[in-house]
Amino acid sequence: MKINQKVFLQFGICIIFFGLMGILINNLTINLIRTGLGFNFSWLFKPASFALAEHPLPYTSSDSYAWALFIGWLNSLKVIVSSLILATFLGTLIGFARTGKNSLLGLISAGYITIVRQTPLLLQLMFWYFVGFLGLKDNIFIQIKNIFYVSNQGIEFSGLIFSSEFLALSLGLTIFTSAYIAEVIRGGILSVSRGQWEAFRSLGLSEKKGLIRIILPQALPAIIPGLTSQYLNLAKNSTLAIAVGYSDIYAINDTIINQTGRAIECFIILLVSFLLLNLLITNTMEIINRLILKSRKYS
Amino acid sequence: MFKIDISSTIFFLKNLKKTLFSNLFNTIITLLIILFISVAISNTFAWLLFKANWKVVISNLPLYAFGSFPPNEQWRPATWMISLLLLSIFTLCGPEWKWLRKNLLIVWVGTIPLGLYLLYGGLGLSPIMSRHWGGLTLTILLTVCSSLLSLPFGIVLALCRQSSLPLIQKLSSIYIDVMRAIPLIAVLFFGQLLIPLFLPVGIEIDRVWRAIFAFTLFVSAYIAEDIRGGLQSIPNTQIEAANSLGLNQYQIIQFILIPQALRIALPALTNQSIGLFQNTSLMAILGLVELLGVGRSILANPEFIGQYIEVYVWLACVYWMVCTIMAVLARHLEQRMTINQANF
Repeated sequence: MKINQKVFLQFGICIIFFGLMGILINNLTINLIRTGLGFNFSWLFKPASFALAEHPLPYTSSDSYAWALFIGWLNSLKVIVSSLILATFLGTLIGFARTGKNSLLGLISAGYITIVRQTPLLLQLMFWYFVGFLGLKDNIFIQIKNIFYVSNQGIEFSGLIFSSEFLALSLGLTIFTSAYIAEVIRGGILSVSRGQWEAFRSLGLSEKKGLIRIILPQALPAIIPGLTSQYLNLAKNSTLAIAVGYSDIYAINDTIINQTGRAIECFIILLVSFLLLNLLITNTMEIINRLILKSRKYS
Repeated sequence: MFKIDISSTIFFLKNLKKTLFSNLFNTIITLLIILFISVAISNTFAWLLFKANWKVVISNLPLYAFGSFPPNEQWRPATWMISLLLLSIFTLCGPEWKWLRKNLLIVWVGTIPLGLYLLYGGLGLSPIMSRHWGGLTLTILLTVCSSLLSLPFGIVLALCRQSSLPLIQKLSSIYIDVMRAIPLIAVLFFGQLLIPLFLPVGIEIDRVWRAIFAFTLFVSAYIAEDIRGGLQSIPNTQIEAANSLGLNQYQIIQFILIPQALRIALPALTNQSIGLFQNTSLMAILGLVELLGVGRSILANPEFIGQYIEVYVWLACVYWMVCTIMAVLARHLEQRMTINQANF
């Protein structure tokens, strides 16, 4: 293509694109004026006047919307981090079981992965919440030595209280994500050539030691990108919290839209908060990746 | 012959010993698993056969399939679903009629207008509003319409992202990255809320089409990335060869790049459409009565209150089954494509 043609084509597409945007924004302003809402963020500092069941920092309903949103963001972070750690452990175990020698164990983990991956996450979350936690009887408290209480309100463990919403959400997310992580781990392990296995076996290393010291370090470069994308998916999936009534960032945005009708502003806030979450996850994984590369260099 | 059987049995047993009982630790694990499986299976069967009350499923079967579609018109969605099922069976194990096999893709695409006609009515059928649609019919309709719409959109986005024109490349990269950063439920929710705001006064789209539109916007970003992967794996020499044959830019895209990129991206695209099918369940918390939504409304009925396990297990089975059918169909398509490649 000639340069003139290129410039002309880009110019044309830009005109079409911005023309379309212009029409849409024009419609939007007309509609916003019609509904009398306008576009501003000053409502953020008005009192939120709704209660939150779960708040890691002090919060009352007279606090501002902005503070409520921040609490929601922290709640999201809490559930994401806890299920991220658990899912990594569980997923690694299942991934090892899937690639291991014991064919029965492999069969069971394959079954687990298929069942978890072929049913919708929302259905699983509802199952864990309504059947797993609300199904527990209200009046029968299971308690062990006065430090561990289980009821349909949640679990209390030596003063720390986990609500059943939080538990159901993190259990569901853990199980769902672990099936995907297991596949990532399996892919990574299979990407290491068979010769490496044969080599460490012929050196007389035990199966466990060889897996951890020989195979895993070589599989990690293939595993880390897959893991990162699964963690990002986990963060996005955590917004299904609204189905079990856990007040994460999305649920609070939803409440605010119902109260104030400010959909556009809330959409922007949600976008920014997810940008922050994504940056947090990708940067952490980048640091881990660099550490791994570094440790390989000097070993 | 008998001898071979015995030796193969011995071989099988030896293999079993090697894989299952190679050392103490392995043996313990194997025995524990066998114990676990037998307990789990016996408990599940006891529950399935004796404890579970399947009335909540059996007496509501039409509801799961068609939602609140008027009862005397339910043959319409039923016809559509049965034709889809028959078409899948034909595709998988039907006879090799060349004239039909060649146009099978067109027949598949043709089921969408057929389904829309049967659901909407008109032209001899009584019209039915989209708020009466529901159940598995609506789930499948959402899936097929959104995946069909998002495929061309995704291809265009992928081509734009690979384009040498910097402005177009930037615009499509921004779109893809933003869409992939936000959760689906937010896209769907704001799709329901914001699409009416962006339209001129007086024009309205019903909830189903707003959902399909939002799904399309979301999924096309993911499809674009999958197809970009396919495009990147096509060696540059192919483009050079096409150039030297005198093909122009559009011919290269149409005949060289897209067919190969689609073939490479096919497994990923299958995963996307299966994921889309599962994700249509999110519409249950946004006001559409699709399969999961029907389950929720049945559980809210005082007659069936508290029968969560039965309903959820049944729904999981239905989702699992449709996902499996989709996966099998996709594998079939992959095999066909590789056979075609060998013929060239």
